[in-house]
Amino acid sequence: MTAIFGVAAGIAFLGALGVVVARRTLYSALALIVNMLALAVLFLLLDAQFLAAVQVIVYAGAVMVLFVFIIALLSPGAQARLRPTELRVLIGAGAAVLFTVVLVRLTLNGITVTPGGHFHGTIGPFAPLLVDRHGQVQTLGEQLFTTFLLPFEVSSLLLLVAAVGAVHLARGRQATP
Amino acid sequence: MSFHLFPGFIGLSAAMFGIGAVGVLARRNPLVVFMSIELMLNAANLALVTYGRFTHTMDGQVFAIVVITVAASEVVVGLALITGVFRRGRRLDLDDLAELRE
Repeated sequence: MTAIFGVAAGIAFLGALGVVVARRTLYSALALIVNMLALAVLFLLLDAQFLAAVQVIVYAGAVMVLFVFIIALLSPGAQARLRPTELRVLIGAGAAVLFTVVLVRLTLNGITVTPGGHFHGTIGPFAPLLVDRHGQVQTLGEQLFTTFLLPFEVSSLLLLVAAVGAVHLARGRQATP
Repeated sequence: MSFHLFPGFIGLSAAMFGIGAVGVLARRNPLVVFMSIELMLNAANLALVTYGRFTHTMDGQVFAIVVITVAASEVVVGLALITGVFRRGRRLDLDDLAELRE
């Protein structure tokens, strides 16, 4: 399992680097797809089978197809390569490194993982083994439609608003009376 | 699930978030900026699912599903905006983009 994590994490990291470094926009999109597929493998490792499927179908499928379609439509040429000497790149990289270090420090603060598989943190007692109860998708569906029903409905409303907004934006000027 | 991998997952998530932040700050192509935002959202998803797994709850996965929904709608609206701006100006450069101010 450690080997699978190492390979998938390495691919995800390289894909993430490729998104930012790549010179052509299409290569950025392809690197992002690679990154998302590696993330789906990581989700499988984390016992999140449904999310892994959603990651492949929705992200690597639908969203990235939309991205590639827009890239083909606008056909942006080769971009200026990121130069490490440029001031904005230096500031961005410095901020990112600082942010990463702070994030790791904060999220791992007070959390220790013993070799026996026990997870000690300052968050308090954890809920009883919900993950291992029965089939993953079934547990997730139960949670989604009982405890988290309101966020679920709100997100459906958000999708409706986004669809209406996209149609309005895409119609352009000539449609307005 | 071996628990010693927990810092690895969190570290990868933080690194991906940092790389995405570099993309947002340093790139000028709006499409690449959008992809970097997707990268950051993915990193957040990974952290959520990791915490959910190691605290034995489903909350992280439900949060991640909501994040994916928000990301999808954001991409739809954002790409429509980018095509609209490109149709008017024929340029894809965030530094030249000042017409949204008016």
